[in-house]
Amino acid sequence: MATSSTSNVYIHVIEDVINKVRDEFVNNGGPGESVLSELQGLWEMKMMQAGAILGPIDRSAAAKSAPGGPNPVHDLNVPYEGTEEYETPTADMLFPPTPLQTPMPTPLPGMAQTPLPGTAQTPGTAQTPSDSFLFNIPTGGTPITPNEYSSGNDNGSVPDVKPGPGRPSQFMQPPQTLVNQRPRLDVNVAYVENREEGDRGGSQQPATQDFFLMGGGKRKRDEFPSQYPNGGGYIPQQDGASGSISDEVKVGFGNSALSLGNSATSGAGTSIREGRLFSNASQLDGPIADPYDDELSTPSIYNYQGAANEDYNIVNTPATNEIQAATPAAAIPNDIPDDDDDEPLNEDDDDDELDDVEQGEDLNTSHLVLAQFDKVTRTKSRWKCTLKDGVMHINNKDILFNKATGEFEF
Amino acid sequence: MATFELYRRSTIGMCLTETLDEMVSNGILSPELAIQVLVQFDKSMTEALETQVKSKVSIKGHLHTYRFCDNVWTFILQDAVFKSDECQENVSRVKIVACDSKLLTQ
Repeated sequence: MATSSTSNVYIHVIEDVINKVRDEFVNNGGPGESVLSELQGLWEMKMMQAGAILGPIDRSAAAKSAPGGPNPVHDLNVPYEGTEEYETPTADMLFPPTPLQTPMPTPLPGMAQTPLPGTAQTPGTAQTPSDSFLFNIPTGGTPITPNEYSSGNDNGSVPDVKPGPGRPSQFMQPPQTLVNQRPRLDVNVAYVENREEGDRGGSQQPATQDFFLMGGGKRKRDEFPSQYPNGGGYIPQQDGASGSISDEVKVGFGNSALSLGNSATSGAGTSIREGRLFSNASQLDGPIADPYDDELSTPSIYNYQGAANEDYNIVNTPATNEIQAATPAAAIPNDIPDDDDDEPLNEDDDDDELDDVEQGEDLNTSHLVLAQFDKVTRTKSRWKCTLKDGVMHINNKDILFNKATGEFEF
Repeated sequence: MATFELYRRSTIGMCLTETLDEMVSNGILSPELAIQVLVQFDKSMTEALETQVKSKVSIKGHLHTYRFCDNVWTFILQDAVFKSDECQENVSRVKIVACDSKLLTQ
């Protein structure tokens, strides 16, 4: 029916766009054919989900155009390729490079541990030539890996990480001297290293513990630091550094919120202050209080930061995600009233004059006709118009027309 | 060749825009290249409507609002009836946005 013809035209447009943009993707340092095929795949998928393209027709079209078939595969492959690349080189690196680089190991171990998150294994493998190095390296890698990205990304954690690598370098040196003893520690070291290290040197244990503690604090900077000051009694050590930062951040947020609010500056300020008071008053609310601050500050800047943090958390640490997920749920009911107080004023101001009619129409009617007009005439209250090259979305149907005539009574 | 960005609001245009937004936000695609794709879509869509589509439609209804601004006509119809060779659709409210076809030929 009409939809099938529309679907064919849509498929034609997609292929036409993809083919004519291919040069831009492949040449001039473009992202390449794979990205182009991914673009086509996502585009067609969305079209099919919207019902604008019929499934079977799309498949035939995909079969005709080579990129169409592999598209879904590319989507899946992209993430996998990344992992494979990381894993495979490390395995290759482990065996061949180790004998060559081994003689110079001592300065390297420190380097190896600092980059730990991404490259930790490769340098470790490189140094492995001596058995002792192998054992030392895995130990360094294992504790670090859980915290990896969060620690590296967060500023607060960075200083802590740096001393870490210095310490391991010290450890590395003794193992060289103690090569004979290392085989004893071999298997145990990898997993229980922290305990053994603690036996060797008191400084080592705190370092490992710090990493774990910091990992939680770092990831949640925006949220948790504020929580800790609120519930300071729970974890005093983490609160010290993070708490001060969070306070400064809050002030900044408050200012931004005030600037954003046109007339409600005083109200916003009070609400923010109240939020702080509540957060301070109810330490148990800790997790709840933080979301307040975040949401109040959310306007623009913080959203980006929050998103970045969330991404890191998602990738690296599932456990923290669970915690965060729980907190916003509790916070939402409390937050809504604050937002309501601030936003309605601004929204009403903007909307009153211009958008009343359009909003109602946009919300109530998704029916839309996009076209070009050749002629529009009016005789008294009778309007006549001739349209061409139009796209209509009516009653969830997409209808294309070459020409259209309209007769309206005003 | 002049083109309208008009058709980006259509279903196919919105799907493309969403796809490009995702790929740009994921860092897969540069914003400049995404815009180039959109411009190419403007051209391809206009061309396809001229060459691939033959159907004619008649529209009748009560004109609730008319507006002509920046060479763009906007009509809001109530109780509109769309008739084509293949089907007829009744809509309580519909918005028509039309650009001046002369702008493309000039």
